[in-house]
Amino acid sequence: MTTLIQKKICLLGDFAVGKTSLVRRFVEGRFDDKYLGTIGVKISRKVITRSYGQLNLLVWDMTGGEDLDTKVRMSYLHGAAGALMVCDLTRSYTLDVFESYARQMRTLNPRVPLMFLANKVDLGNERVISDEQLLSISKALGGRSFYLTSAKTGENVETAFLHLADLIEEKA
Amino acid sequence: MGFYMEKAPKDIINTGPTGDDINPLDSIRAILLADVQEGLGALERQIDGLQRRTDTDKVSLQQQLEDILVELEQLRKKIQKDAEELIPRIAPELGNMIGGAIRDSRDEMAEALGPVMGEAIRVQIRNSRKDMIEALFPIIGETVQRAIGEFAKELQRNIDAQLRRSIGPQGFLRIVFARLRGIPASQLTLRDALPFAIREIFLIQHGSGLLLAHYHPSKDEATDTDLISAMLTATRDFVHDSFGQGEAENELDEVQYGDQRIIIQSGRTAYLAVVITGVEPEGFRAKLHTLVSELHVSHGIVFERYNGDSTTIPNLRPKLAILADEFAGVEEVAEPLSRGTKLALAIGSLLGIILVGLACFYLQFTIALFPMAFPPDTPTVTPTATYMPTFTATLTEIPTFTATDTSTPTATFTPGYTPTPIMGIATGNVWVRPEPDYSGDLRFTVLRRNTPVKVLSVYGSWMEVEWQAEGILQRGWVPSGWITLFDPVPADQITPTQIP
Repeated sequence: MTTLIQKKICLLGDFAVGKTSLVRRFVEGRFDDKYLGTIGVKISRKVITRSYGQLNLLVWDMTGGEDLDTKVRMSYLHGAAGALMVCDLTRSYTLDVFESYARQMRTLNPRVPLMFLANKVDLGNERVISDEQLLSISKALGGRSFYLTSAKTGENVETAFLHLADLIEEKA
Repeated sequence: MGFYMEKAPKDIINTGPTGDDINPLDSIRAILLADVQEGLGALERQIDGLQRRTDTDKVSLQQQLEDILVELEQLRKKIQKDAEELIPRIAPELGNMIGGAIRDSRDEMAEALGPVMGEAIRVQIRNSRKDMIEALFPIIGETVQRAIGEFAKELQRNIDAQLRRSIGPQGFLRIVFARLRGIPASQLTLRDALPFAIREIFLIQHGSGLLLAHYHPSKDEATDTDLISAMLTATRDFVHDSFGQGEAENELDEVQYGDQRIIIQSGRTAYLAVVITGVEPEGFRAKLHTLVSELHVSHGIVFERYNGDSTTIPNLRPKLAILADEFAGVEEVAEPLSRGTKLALAIGSLLGIILVGLACFYLQFTIALFPMAFPPDTPTVTPTATYMPTFTATLTEIPTFTATDTSTPTATFTPGYTPTPIMGIATGNVWVRPEPDYSGDLRFTVLRRNTPVKVLSVYGSWMEVEWQAEGILQRGWVPSGWITLFDPVPADQITPTQIP
């Protein structure tokens, strides 16, 4: 019998940083994006074949731009095995929410790995966040690294998700 | 310097040089600015010319504008006229083009026209609601009628099945208990006719929404169960946090969509979500509660520590299947009977009818023969005491009576007919004999109680009676003790018993 492992991961970030576009690049979905607007979350799945069997990543894509301290959003973080935190390279203030997101995530799930993604790398001319800034905040919040991604071209999207999956399995 | 340059020309132009007051400076200025003055004069002339030309052009432009307006008006009239002539010629072509486009690109046309038509319908409904209702009624009415018809058929099938099911001890007892609780049998049947079925069962970990176990009636597992359980958890959390106002005990316990419902029974670390159709039977939720409690007692720690690794959790599907099996059956009953079952039922019914007929016949036969098997003893005793001597002599073949037997044996029986028949009634079931004699086994039929009889003759304590039995006129002798006469028999009409 094939071993099946399910893991819940959360996708966090400010409004319009491209979280949902990243998910579309990576996962197979069933539910419509309208759920994001109704209950504030849309869940998708990515099946990864492993040597031991099958790893199902259940990606909880949450609406951005709201304070995570609200009860509903907090509920959605329960039981997460990891999180992807996304900012927009063309808007520096999208980094500001990282700290509160990381704090809430660690409050509920102390040992979970966090992965930082700087999206919209394809808009190179409009970039306002430097690699140094990203590395600094990543280290400050307990992350190991960050990825420059592009939901438009698909650059580094799969790599980032798979890296997070590896980190989750290491922690397990 | 600039100052001077500005003043000099004016002065020069306005005053002009005279011999007396010519200033050497003015002279120099006039010499130096002669070219400028000349240029200014040329400019003034040019301006005047332009002014004149502008005036001329303005008039010309006005004229041209008027001409253009006239032409425009003519064109407008012409276009209008042409359009009126063109429409009849273009319309068929346009129709063909649109028809062709619809045929060739049906999907694209539908996609393009869909929003417009939707908006048009909305506007039309808003503006002419009544007209739209009248226009749509034939479609909607028929659709609703068909839907109701289908529902009625389904309900009828279910009621029939339920009636079949209620034939039997259990069904009968159920109806009796329902009646005792004040529920009419019709309501019970109707309620049972609404089919109840468990479609799916999910056992889901709180918080993470990870699926712990799943049951589906079909052997092929339903897909996306993990996604559904996660989304259900998110919805549940959303409702709880939005409307529960933080109270832990207030939780979403039911979700309804269409004819299906999700019944949710929460435990400490996991919850059950059961997808059902129909009305859940009595005790269903209590059963769910029991199951959740049992699962937590035996696997509560496993549920709590579950991190998504399926190897760390036991196979709980059989336990969920037990729940589903326990409440299965209504739907099976609701299914129409197969051809073979119908045939078997028909044969069984026929045999049943035959058996019942045979039983009735046997019962009737037994009742008819009962008096023969157990003849009434009491009536025979009384008359025997009085009249036995007469016949005992004959039967015991005593020589004394042998002689008398030869003298007038027949005379004792033949003259007993009374001239005027007397009516009476049988007071009990009594054997009828061909002769007024107890000897031998000569009884041949039974005179039923309360049968009206006509007394033909009386011989001692015997009466010869006549009556109708099943349309047949019967006649015979019975002891007179079994007949009540409406009028007494005159003494002169009684044939005395011959006493030796």
